[in-house]
Amino acid sequence: MTLAHDRTSDFLEGGRRERRQIVTPEGVPLSIELADYGERLVAFVIDLFIWLILIIVLLVALVSAIGVSGGSLLAVSLGLFVAFMVRNLYFVGFELAWRGATPGKRLVGLRVIDRAGGPLQPSAIVARNLTREIETFLPLGVLLTSGKSATGAVDWSNFGIALWMLLFAALPFINRDRMRGGDLLAGTLVISLPKRVLLADLVERKAQFTFTQAQLRAYGAFELQVLEELLRRQITPDAMRLLAEVCDKICRRIEWTTPIAPADILPFLREFYTAERAFLEHEQLFGKARADKHAGGGT
Amino acid sequence: MSMPAATTDATTGAAAGRPEIVLKSSEFRKGRAEGWLELEQLVTRVERFGIRRLSLDELQRLPILYRAALSSLSVARTIVLDRNLLLYLETLSVRAFLAVYGPRANPITGLRAFFGQELPVAVRSARWHILIAALTLLLGAIVGFMLTVQDETWYNSFVPSGLSGGRGPSSTRADLLDREIFAPWPGLVESFGIFAGVLFNHNTLIGILTFGLGMGIGIPTIMLTVYQGLPIGAFVALHYNRDLTVDFLGWLAIHGVTELGGLILFAAGGLVIAEKMLFPGRYSRLENLAMHGRLAGQMAVGAVIMLFAAAFLEGGCRQLVASTPLRFAIGFGVGALWLAYFSLAGRRARP
Repeated sequence: MTLAHDRTSDFLEGGRRERRQIVTPEGVPLSIELADYGERLVAFVIDLFIWLILIIVLLVALVSAIGVSGGSLLAVSLGLFVAFMVRNLYFVGFELAWRGATPGKRLVGLRVIDRAGGPLQPSAIVARNLTREIETFLPLGVLLTSGKSATGAVDWSNFGIALWMLLFAALPFINRDRMRGGDLLAGTLVISLPKRVLLADLVERKAQFTFTQAQLRAYGAFELQVLEELLRRQITPDAMRLLAEVCDKICRRIEWTTPIAPADILPFLREFYTAERAFLEHEQLFGKARADKHAGGGT
Repeated sequence: MSMPAATTDATTGAAAGRPEIVLKSSEFRKGRAEGWLELEQLVTRVERFGIRRLSLDELQRLPILYRAALSSLSVARTIVLDRNLLLYLETLSVRAFLAVYGPRANPITGLRAFFGQELPVAVRSARWHILIAALTLLLGAIVGFMLTVQDETWYNSFVPSGLSGGRGPSSTRADLLDREIFAPWPGLVESFGIFAGVLFNHNTLIGILTFGLGMGIGIPTIMLTVYQGLPIGAFVALHYNRDLTVDFLGWLAIHGVTELGGLILFAAGGLVIAEKMLFPGRYSRLENLAMHGRLAGQMAVGAVIMLFAAAFLEGGCRQLVASTPLRFAIGFGVGALWLAYFSLAGRRARP
């Protein structure tokens, strides 16, 4: 089911968002927006940055505490160990404590949720982050060290791992819900959760202009919501020009013959919006929803 | 249901001068907006500071306000055309939903539930997979042994150079005895730092690889497990030919019981994934994977912990204990503890 306002959003935002539905335990379907590849990458890079710094700080502290030289084998193995613990505890710990968000995800506005709409289980968080090791860190490690092959021959294990990496890197691109291996395993989904504020109602209580039913029938919910978006924009000279244009178009379509003074454009549009919304909502209440201006006419 | 048509009649009441326009959706909003804003405030605080910061009173309000918002959303979808309101309610509902149904905020409770209940239950439910993984590893070891015992050049193809540590067909009995089995303890920092760290990383990566390869419907998991068995067999054969079997097995057992247990657990987790992908039953493959992937994930965490313990035993303790019977005792004693934990823990809480 695509809702009317989803369609308007697609129109206004250029159809950028992929939407899915989850059904809450209360049985209400909620429309959620899948996270973009770009958003996820940015979140991951932020996290990467944070835990790399964490590892370096910890390692420097540890190495200086034990008192070994930085280049020794001990420092290397200590580094491997600390890195392993930090990166795994980082993701699992934050997603547990912050209900499905790491610092990176939080900055970008992403959340991990259960795909079916149930509660996000701690075991799901553990499962989805442990697989990170194979999907990301292992190939990253191979990439960083593969230059060291002594002979010029093809290193088949490196080759295999490169293929492996390709397979996993491609995983979010080849499934509909943009899940990586860990999401697949844990039954989770990464969604984008923008902050939205409740803006004032645009309804104009005092009517100056009156419209007939036939005039209001000229448009549907889609046009109404685009008009709403325009009316909610800040009033700049540019926006005013656009509104004047829109006002002109509306007048022509509904055959409004009285000319409208420039100062009256905004009140006129707001009142038209109010009347149109009252009309469409009333129609919808009785099961005659009009999606847009092309919807079936004067019945 | 009575619906006074006059309330929305901005259109037909035109003749009566200037009608006061009253929209149902505006009235709807006016009556409920306060609750939404209160919910938004609570949710914002939960998102920022966690649910524990809410007072008892607020904690009781949260689910009530959440359900009220959900019902508002359901109504709004049918009677409201204000896009901002709809989007706001949708987002608010999702945020409140996540706040109400988020994971338990307390990591301690989560960890206790995990180790006291979820992990052992998961491991028990996969006992057949564990058996298969163990047999596969054994098969690899037997093959490695049979081949190497006849012709020691096989040793070089089974044991990667990083693992062999200078041991090979050219090693003599004395070499193996002094430099490997009863080599002196290298000291605390050296043994824990280097051995334990490197071994843990190496083993865990291999284990996770076996586990993750379960997504390739299990064949790579089986192959990799056999492949891990080969060097073990080769090692045993090398020592068998030099009449050191018992001492070597003791050397291996002190950590090997735990380490191989961890690797088997990883492989079994991979097999669980493979099985759920191959035989989804009455669910779709994805659903089935999601339902049981967690199980496999829990097993993998258990395996990591076992490997951690194994690295500790191998790097830190093995060379400290220079007696074969004692090594056997420690190795199988720890193994028995694992067995007891996985087979007994968490039974009571489950009816």
